[in-house]
Amino acid sequence: MQPARPSSPVAATPPLAVRNLRKVFGEDVGRPSEVIADISVSLAHGEIVAIVGPSGCGKSTLLNLLCGLMPRSRGEVLWYGAPATGMPKRVGYMLQKDLLLPWRTALKNVSLGLELHDVPAGERVERSRKLLDVIGLGGFHDYYPSALSGGMRQRVALARTMANEPEVLLLDEPFAALDFQTKLVLENDMARLVRSQHRSLLLITHDVEEAVSLADRVIVLSHRPTRVKAVYDVGLDADRTDMMAARESRGFTDYVRKIWSDLEVTRS
Amino acid sequence: MSVAMEKAEPGADNPPAARPSRFAGLRRGGGILLAQLLVLAAFLGYWEAMTASNKQSAFMFGSPSAIAGFLVKMATDGSLWQDTWVTGMETVLGFVVGNCIGTVIGLSLWYSRFVSAVVHPFIIALGSIPTIALAPIIIIWFGTGLISKIAMATLSVVVVAVVTSYKGAIGVDPDQINLMRTLGASKFQIFRKLVVPASLTDIFAGLRLTVGFALIGAIIGEFMSSSEGLGHAIFKAGSLYIIPKVFAALVATIVLALLLTFVVGKVERVLTPWRRTD
Repeated sequence: MQPARPSSPVAATPPLAVRNLRKVFGEDVGRPSEVIADISVSLAHGEIVAIVGPSGCGKSTLLNLLCGLMPRSRGEVLWYGAPATGMPKRVGYMLQKDLLLPWRTALKNVSLGLELHDVPAGERVERSRKLLDVIGLGGFHDYYPSALSGGMRQRVALARTMANEPEVLLLDEPFAALDFQTKLVLENDMARLVRSQHRSLLLITHDVEEAVSLADRVIVLSHRPTRVKAVYDVGLDADRTDMMAARESRGFTDYVRKIWSDLEVTRS
Repeated sequence: MSVAMEKAEPGADNPPAARPSRFAGLRRGGGILLAQLLVLAAFLGYWEAMTASNKQSAFMFGSPSAIAGFLVKMATDGSLWQDTWVTGMETVLGFVVGNCIGTVIGLSLWYSRFVSAVVHPFIIALGSIPTIALAPIIIIWFGTGLISKIAMATLSVVVVAVVTSYKGAIGVDPDQINLMRTLGASKFQIFRKLVVPASLTDIFAGLRLTVGFALIGAIIGEFMSSSEGLGHAIFKAGSLYIIPKVFAALVATIVLALLLTFVVGKVERVLTPWRRTD
């Protein structure tokens, strides 16, 4: 894999900037319900930003708005400084569901995006093979998803997202369905891949510890109608590709505690 | 690069999932087969006993031994093979044509919600017409030869194929479609690489169902007018009150149906290897 171009002209403008985003459902049927009141977020080049919020605060709606899968009521979504029209380019997307195609082997699932962009077969296979090796699935290229564990399937999904070499990754609770150990290992792999290739990552999660250990910045959302409640620049004295070290470093617990109290979980 | 694997290393001697003992499965399968043979033997034995002892009329009901006699006779004079071949060919051709047309229509309805909403009541209306009611028209249109039987078999299949393949196509997970879109897929790519393979499960369910329908269609066609085929044999023997011969032709029909269903199952297994559960 080639690293993303750190000194390319687009590096000056942030890959993603969201200004005063608002989303109201049901306006057309006369029963408006405001889900997102006002959100502004920016994602700098090579930065990992985590968005946490209480359940039902419209996190997935936010992601759909960013991807252009849903029209917004107000505000701006700028990809590389330009207003988004439809699906943004060079953006990878990953959900809690692995969404692997059951009739494709692990390798063929990873190469799906390359196939859609008419990358020649030889190059497709080679790049997908390398990715699976990097992500720790060296011997499983020809396995169907039904023969893989949940963690392995999510790895394949991560490799599929990375195969298109997106400059920005949008992840919606990607590890929520995994057990703790598998989650830690996958978070490590992800941090290493994203940081070594200088990609940008926007992570939507409800897992406060995951947010603090992975991200450079954590944005806390309020209850519905959702606004940005607090922003934390996470400064941890640890290797930021080692989740265990991050969790054990000084200050980690303070961040987690502050964010927990922002979320007002007890109230709901 | 990863720190730990959560599953076993791959390799031939280390299969990915624990599978139940092959022998346990065989033993259970053998038990089922044995029970099925016992039920069949009991049924035939009772039938034979009742007709042999004249408690029931062998003329009215035939008897297993007389049926077997007719099967041997028809096999030696070659009519059994000829009739089975003719009906089998009509069935297979109608099955293939009907499913091809039906599946193409059903899948392409995925492309436009508007078109599918418009044609939906028409498809239901066509599906509610009993095929047998169309037989006289089919014979007027296509004559009394092979084509009219294939047309009957096709008509028995096509609406079911439309409905099952359309159901498969619209049943695709919308998240899956969104994912394809974020990967940059065009609508045609979504159709080809997601909708069509995802519909295969439903399409094959339809195929297994319509094998029988195609056979029924072919036999109805032969009932209306024919000079050969199993339907012809059944109709002719029935008109002459040769009951055991009717049953002999029925046995051949059942064997043909089982054989065709078996072939469809085999084809399904070959074409959908990811669904093999070892």
